[in-house]
Amino acid sequence: MGERKRHRILMVSDFFYPNFGGVENHIYYLSQCLLKLGHKVVVMTHAYQNRSGVRYMTGGLKVYYVPWRPFLMQNTFPTFYGTLPIVRTILIRENISLVHGHQAFSTLCHEALMHARTMGYKVVFTDHSLYGFADAGSIHMNKVLQFTLAEVSQAICVSHTSKENTVLRSGLPPEKVFVIPNAVDTAMFKPAPTRLSRHEIVIVVISRLVYRKGADLLVEVIPEVCRLYPNVRFIVGGDGPKRVRLEEMREKHSLQDRVEMLGAVQHSQVRSVLITGHIFLNSSLTEAFCIAILEAASCGLLTVSTRVGGVPEVLPDDMVVLAKPDPSDMVQAIEKAISILPNIDPEQMHNRMKELYNWHDVAKRTEIVYDRALKCSKQNLLKRLSRYLSCGAWAGKLFCLVMIIDFIFWHLLQRWQPAEDIEEVPDFVLSHDQDDGIPRDNKNQSFG
Amino acid sequence: MVGSCISNSRYTYIHGSKWPNEEVDVHQIIVKKSGAKGFLVYFFALIILANAFHLFLVKGGSVIILLWSFLLDAFLVKLLWKGVTKESVVVMPAFGVQLETHYKSGRVARRFVPIDKILKPVLLECVTPVTCYWSLSFIVHGEADLVLVFKELRPPMKMLAPIWKALCAATGSKESLDTCKEDR
Repeated sequence: MGERKRHRILMVSDFFYPNFGGVENHIYYLSQCLLKLGHKVVVMTHAYQNRSGVRYMTGGLKVYYVPWRPFLMQNTFPTFYGTLPIVRTILIRENISLVHGHQAFSTLCHEALMHARTMGYKVVFTDHSLYGFADAGSIHMNKVLQFTLAEVSQAICVSHTSKENTVLRSGLPPEKVFVIPNAVDTAMFKPAPTRLSRHEIVIVVISRLVYRKGADLLVEVIPEVCRLYPNVRFIVGGDGPKRVRLEEMREKHSLQDRVEMLGAVQHSQVRSVLITGHIFLNSSLTEAFCIAILEAASCGLLTVSTRVGGVPEVLPDDMVVLAKPDPSDMVQAIEKAISILPNIDPEQMHNRMKELYNWHDVAKRTEIVYDRALKCSKQNLLKRLSRYLSCGAWAGKLFCLVMIIDFIFWHLLQRWQPAEDIEEVPDFVLSHDQDDGIPRDNKNQSFG
Repeated sequence: MVGSCISNSRYTYIHGSKWPNEEVDVHQIIVKKSGAKGFLVYFFALIILANAFHLFLVKGGSVIILLWSFLLDAFLVKLLWKGVTKESVVVMPAFGVQLETHYKSGRVARRFVPIDKILKPVLLECVTPVTCYWSLSFIVHGEADLVLVFKELRPPMKMLAPIWKALCAATGSKESLDTCKEDR
């Protein structure tokens, strides 16, 4: 059997470090593990405040912070063609073989995938969220997704529910969509060294205090649980527009001594908050995967969660108590969790998480998707346009026009700045014994 | 005395010494003349002027149109004349480095950086909203910002590398590719 194919991957998303969240973590950890597997990984995102230009992160991960300012919700302004010159330059100078876009919200991701397809590159898309079908925003988003996925080589979803949702929204053939769940850095999320006393039961909530995360449910659940169990205390970490409602609830029911509001919690501090509790409460109304549950389970906490989206797929039944997104059902679930708490061994739970969810496994599975994507046949412009035409009576024609203009623009760029004039950069290779970057010429590399 | 020469479609790099008996190192990046660019600028200037005269004389337009067209023409020609013909780096060991920018108008902008003030010459990757390129800079003692060696031109890495090596040798810096590295 021949040597494993080495890929040169460009990860593209508007969401990346220094921002913190599920998508940001996913890109970072996946990139690190792919680098360890011997692939070359480059990340492209927009500039964050004064963080602009090229940066190198742990393991020699190269990040292009392109000086485009965020426009709305950390997204760059949609220009369609404005990003083509920089995307083309990065693809050529880094000798990229495959482009991997993350998150349907990301404008930069959609534009980069469009340009990469125009230039004949293989593209992979990962969807990290669930969407509706009825409201105006979702209808618009689904049309954009249909355009992006019309010609994607392969797609990845973080749960089976997410896959079902993506297939329905985009009309993508199910055999092109893979399910690769998220993972957790178990080395970062370890249980408390000493087991906590059960005289006082601490329930931890860490989430953005917004409607989608079920902050309104918490307002009704917390007072009821406090009434039923005098020895239960809540720690609420996170900030958002619904924080005011929680503060009001605390005042109304005089629970200042039993409900601790921490405000925004830095990602580096999440573990120290989690290990102070016995139960982790997740009240999300919609969730494609929910990494927070994994982090809590890795810290040895028993999870109580709403049965929504991909949440039921995340943990084994003995590690989680699921409930309908309804206050009374959630109170019952918390009661059940308190009753089974003596059977929970945090250390054992952590070890199980280590086996079940690790980033190396995610990277190996993603590698298979990349191999499949590169085997996809190349198609000429006319064949490609026929796919866009099937996206709708009006939308299809519009998508075709967008792609034709992109194709013309790309050819003009090739005339103005030929690919030969764009220099390939030396690769940053880490030696095993030191953390210094050693530039190495691309031609001497074994990358495919 | 010419030592070596590297060329591409836009620039020519010439390395030589100013005086045969002295160790003064001269590195020049010369911009290749683009006849098409000059022709286009003058052509557009002529069209604007002709159009303005047509509006003024034939259609009886106001004199303001004529003035505006003169201003626009002056701006276009100024753009062409503001162009750079070459940039050079004069390395004087144990003394300093002189950076020169030669403009089409004949003006020469010079900057001298004493050798003891240069902490390190660095090769960096720069990113703009539309492209990426390599730049050669100095980390200068007492200055918050990097000092760009080539302020106007963007020569390729193959031209920058020998200049960087010469600067490293002159300043006694270790040759290592600098990267902006950080931990998460």
